[in-house]
Amino acid sequence: MSPQSPSIFEPRKIGEMAPATKVLLYTVLIGWSVFVIFPIYWLLITSFKTPAAVNEGPFFIPWVDFQPTLHAWKDLFIYDAADTFRAYFNSIVIAASATFLSVLVGSMAAYSLSRIEFAPNLITILYFIALLIGAGVAIGVYGTDLWLTLAVAVALFFMLARAVGRLYTVRLANGDILFWIISQRILAPIVVVVPIYMMFQSVRMLDTHFAIIVTYAVVNLPIVVWLMFDFFNSIPRDLEESAQLDGATMVMTFREIVLPLSRAGLAATTLLVMIFSWNEYLFALFLSTSKAQTLPILVAAMNAGERGILWWTMSVAIIIMIIPVVVLAVVLQKYISKGLLVGAVKG
Amino acid sequence: MNAEAPIIGSPMGISIHDMNKFYGAFHALKDFSLEIEPGEFLVLLGPSGCGKSTALRMIAGLESISSGTLMIGENDVTEVLPKYRDIAMVFQSYALYPHKTVAENIGFPLKVAKTPKAEMEAQINAAAAQVELDHLLERLPGQLSGGQRQRVALARAIVRRPSVFLMDEPLSNLDAKLRGNMRAELKHMQSTLGITTIYVTHDQIEAMTLAHRVAIMKDGVLQQLGTPKEVYSDPANLFVAGFMGSPPMNFIEGTLKAGTFNASGLQLSAEGLADTDASTMGFRPEDAQVVAPGQGIFDATVFTVEMTGDQTLVTFRFGDRPIVVKAPKDFDISPNTIAGVAFDVAGACFFATSSGSRLRVTV
Repeated sequence: MSPQSPSIFEPRKIGEMAPATKVLLYTVLIGWSVFVIFPIYWLLITSFKTPAAVNEGPFFIPWVDFQPTLHAWKDLFIYDAADTFRAYFNSIVIAASATFLSVLVGSMAAYSLSRIEFAPNLITILYFIALLIGAGVAIGVYGTDLWLTLAVAVALFFMLARAVGRLYTVRLANGDILFWIISQRILAPIVVVVPIYMMFQSVRMLDTHFAIIVTYAVVNLPIVVWLMFDFFNSIPRDLEESAQLDGATMVMTFREIVLPLSRAGLAATTLLVMIFSWNEYLFALFLSTSKAQTLPILVAAMNAGERGILWWTMSVAIIIMIIPVVVLAVVLQKYISKGLLVGAVKG
Repeated sequence: MNAEAPIIGSPMGISIHDMNKFYGAFHALKDFSLEIEPGEFLVLLGPSGCGKSTALRMIAGLESISSGTLMIGENDVTEVLPKYRDIAMVFQSYALYPHKTVAENIGFPLKVAKTPKAEMEAQINAAAAQVELDHLLERLPGQLSGGQRQRVALARAIVRRPSVFLMDEPLSNLDAKLRGNMRAELKHMQSTLGITTIYVTHDQIEAMTLAHRVAIMKDGVLQQLGTPKEVYSDPANLFVAGFMGSPPMNFIEGTLKAGTFNASGLQLSAEGLADTDASTMGFRPEDAQVVAPGQGIFDATVFTVEMTGDQTLVTFRFGDRPIVVKAPKDFDISPNTIAGVAFDVAGACFFATSSGSRLRVTV
């Protein structure tokens, strides 16, 4: 050992690792990277294999183990081009619209929950629900007139509000509302998919973009509200009060102060919701048959054809499905930076 | 534009009448009434939680007024939105917009008011020059020091030429030395601009040095309103007497009977004061002297001696109470010796201990 190198008894500098630790650490990291990246590599090479090459067994080195061809790519982009592009287009339209809708509505809800103190009367909510159920039963089971029933329900609601609402004053707070919103995610999608299917069936909107967009937006709304609520809470109220005193209207305060400061949160939330919508399978499976089919459905369909599992075209479809998400992540990443609020308050 | 050029809005008086604030059952501000002259520098002083910030936020319009009226100039603004009150506020946290440059921060009130661009630039430059920030206009708040941020907040407040300035502990986040400088600059700026200013602080030195008048508050109640000299030398009650001054007034508890104040072996003449069972006598540390044993009003044991540079603080124990005397800076005495404490009894203040109210000579 040379005299300069630290002896084993000398404490190391902070952040400096022992050679053995370093070797171990890098071995683990490289091992993990291989573990994570390998499936994608396998996907990539499979997309360049012929069906015969796939069926011969797992071979991994192109030009040595097998001869790469564009067979699967041609299959998907030339022979089945119409189906592929329609699914691709559907996926983009549906994911983008659903994301836009849920981020827009969800962040507005989160902002109001973070800034305004709501105090809804519990009893009012309860008899609102009771009247809703009552009206539904009356119309559905006993066949009463729709408008008449609704009018009676509304009248009853206001009468109850005046009579009962004053006596029982147990009020809910923002925390309760927030919990109610997030509780919408407690039910597994498989539980609610049948009612949703029947709802859209009854309005004859199955297999439309609209049905899937609305469903995705609603399903993702709780996540947006939850994430953005935390984010808006981290913006000091002083800033908005100051803007208010400087003469800014609420809209102007939101546009000039709140929106630029919440860009990072919005970017992260958008990315997350976009990925959820892009990859969603179950709702798309139920709500679309052909016109509104999305990419995950297309991929899954290759699993169940009469020709067996089409690993090669499936690989191609998965690759083109991954690309937009990666691009989006890279684009949004620069907004997802910390330290945006530095200098707002104190030192 | 000259940095010293006065930017004069039209200073307005503020008249607050029986203002109250309730947070549910909690009564944060109780029958608060105050008349503020145009151009006056008024300081709201009190310990934390005394309702001074609440009062300021109610004047700003950031908190609703539960009952009472608030007039700015001739206008009743009790129910008016903050932006129509023509006030500017400096927050304790400064509340700078972190994504806007210094120039954009200062110019924000003008931008909101849709001021033409050329005029806006001139006014930003003038305000920045006033607080000596002209070389930092392109920086972001995150790149500034605490003192510079504070100046940006000030510039943003003066740029619009409001009729009232509100300041919520603006100096409390600065270090001691900077605070002293900024205090002097604030005072200079206020007198130059002549804008009515309400300043909230818990620091009685700030209050004494800055204010034309000080309003001392405790538990949501206004305790005393007067010039710094008045509240210092003529406190209205025990709380004000104990709050003002550093070190605060010395207190000795006893009873008042037949024109005499009695306290553990002490008998002092208190002519003209009503008989009170539990009463407290107070005198300022600078009004007392340390003398030889037996020569003063009473003798006591020296507890500690503290040198502050410009003076020596001698703390005695009288009963279980500390008694502090400000002695000259070269004064020397060792602890645990016995010495006399002398002061002019005629200059002492007497209070009823239970209610805290001042006992005055009835003629």
